[in-house]
Amino acid sequence: MENLVIQTEKLSEWVNEVIKKNKVFAPVKETDFSNFKIIDDYSEIDFTYLLPRVPAKKILFKQTETLFLFTPGSKGSVQTKEISDEKLVVFSLRTCDAKTFSILDPVFLGDYADPFYKSRRERSILIGLSCNKPNVNCFCTSFGDSPASSDYVDILLTDLDGKHLVEVVTERGKKFIDNYKKFFTSASKEDLDSKKKVEEQAIKGITRTMKLEGIPEKLDKMFEHPIWYENAMKCIGCGTCTFVCPTCHCFDMQDESTLREGARVRVWDYCMNPEYTHHASGHNPRPARMNRVRNRIFHKFNYYPINDNIVGCTGCGRCIDYCSVNIDVIDIINKIGEAES
Amino acid sequence: MVDKELLVKTAKKIVSREDVKYVVGYKQGTYGFVISPSFAYTPEDVDNFIYNPLCKKNLTVYPILEEKLPLRREEEEDKRKIGIVVKGCDSRALVQIIQEKGLTREDLVIIGIPCKGVIDLKKIEKRFPNQTEAVNVVETDNAEYILNISGAVQHIPKEELLSEVCKSCEYPNPTIYDFLIGEKIEVGEVPEYSGLKNLDETPLEDRWAYWEKHFQNCIRCYACREACPLCYCKTCMADMLEPQWIRRSVNLSENTAWNIMRAFHLAGRCISCGECESVCPVNIPLMELNKKLEKDVKEMFKYNAGLDTKEKTLFGTFNTEEPEEFIM
Repeated sequence: MENLVIQTEKLSEWVNEVIKKNKVFAPVKETDFSNFKIIDDYSEIDFTYLLPRVPAKKILFKQTETLFLFTPGSKGSVQTKEISDEKLVVFSLRTCDAKTFSILDPVFLGDYADPFYKSRRERSILIGLSCNKPNVNCFCTSFGDSPASSDYVDILLTDLDGKHLVEVVTERGKKFIDNYKKFFTSASKEDLDSKKKVEEQAIKGITRTMKLEGIPEKLDKMFEHPIWYENAMKCIGCGTCTFVCPTCHCFDMQDESTLREGARVRVWDYCMNPEYTHHASGHNPRPARMNRVRNRIFHKFNYYPINDNIVGCTGCGRCIDYCSVNIDVIDIINKIGEAES
Repeated sequence: MVDKELLVKTAKKIVSREDVKYVVGYKQGTYGFVISPSFAYTPEDVDNFIYNPLCKKNLTVYPILEEKLPLRREEEEDKRKIGIVVKGCDSRALVQIIQEKGLTREDLVIIGIPCKGVIDLKKIEKRFPNQTEAVNVVETDNAEYILNISGAVQHIPKEELLSEVCKSCEYPNPTIYDFLIGEKIEVGEVPEYSGLKNLDETPLEDRWAYWEKHFQNCIRCYACREACPLCYCKTCMADMLEPQWIRRSVNLSENTAWNIMRAFHLAGRCISCGECESVCPVNIPLMELNKKLEKDVKEMFKYNAGLDTKEKTLFGTFNTEEPEEFIM
């Protein structure tokens, strides 16, 4: 739509200007990693880590969401939860985290729109930042994406050493950037060429590949394959892979109350937990770890592509990075590709 | 260095036995420094077994983790034994579980490995990022690790990569085993665990701020619980709904409740393998809590967990000499 340039030393001024009128989320250094947090000043942003530990899904789809409040008892009442109209900016999103929302949209904006997600989605500006040095388990390129892709953001920044290229991608991004015109100049052809070089370099840094061709269809015939048992034997059943996944979106709803007040909350749930499918009758349709490990892979690489025409994985590699027993989704999918069905 | 041939030979012998279901050991992972648990059902499966200083995972979580599905009519329960590779700390977990009657000695065939300490994966990955190819690590006799990374041989002082818990390990030798691979290690003077200052020494406000900072990052994935061989309650208090001891809401208050209750439930039971801390995706220093409780238990009750299957558990014993100043 429009290509601009901002001098890197002006970046802080611009972001601080944005903070005045918006709630800005950006990666902030925690103990020895970074996480998305609301920032009050540009200096809080941590650019040293490629990916924040918990993905950006937590900004639009919160881990704990209060749906409404209530007063328990015979004279009880329900108080609806006001939805804020604050403007949100997610700053420094990587391709894999930005793509999250195209995958979550069919869920939360599909047949029944979730008012909380919908509202946040509508009032947020996604500002991406191209990766210049991918991690060991990055594989966004396996999905035809690029570490410097502008496909899923409103505005994309690329560090060109001394200045940042600012690609304004959407109408919403254009309206937003027009408020801050004084910080930007037009981009030259050289700037766009430099971005290409940064992008090529980053793509070279991605060493692992997931071979996806024909996988969704092949999985249909592999429901009983031994690979599920192999991986399930070592799975310890924790929620790490699902909680650090940018696309896992299952939730549980609970009433949390005292004698005087209560709230219905929605919290992230994880399909690796036996309780996840435990029916009130006592029956559990996914009784064994094998059923659960298989379901996670099927959901992303079979159900999702078949139902919504998009693979439910963005290639961020977090589930591989933080699995303590080396359940490696790239390895599983590639083995499925090679296996006889 | 552990004799791999002897390990493989022993595991093959065990897995060939009719009364053994499988042997669980270690194999090379799918990238870089990562090691994977390996389940061997046949002697051929054992061929991929390895052992090196990267084999940190405590495998004793597996015998209890195995799910026993309801039996079909006329189907009989598979009561065969499980073979398992253990280091010093891991073996103590088995002893503790046997004391608590979670497993019986007859359930297991134990391959013990005297352990000189294992590498902290987070430290080595930070030192050598973006390592796709598998890397073998060898420990020398003069406290060095030798790594061959993309053709370049690296000598790294052991101290720099060693897991923190291993630095204060008192029991490198398995306390229970059927087969021992290698010579027992002599234990000299063991330095006290260095992470206790955040619970013992610093002023209350600083201590609280330190733990608040960590607990607010907790995402309640319960990896600490699932990875712990001694967290094996059939229903965890964190999963109970009536009464709901800990709410599902993820916030500082509930996260603190979870992390503190987890630590207390391991008082006198934790065997310091450090598994909870190494699996935590948000790097909460859980071993600092565990070590503080271990120290208190040691000082007050002269008790060390997981040494002898004949011994009773700390909470299974009582004597009149015990301090009781904390009882109101």
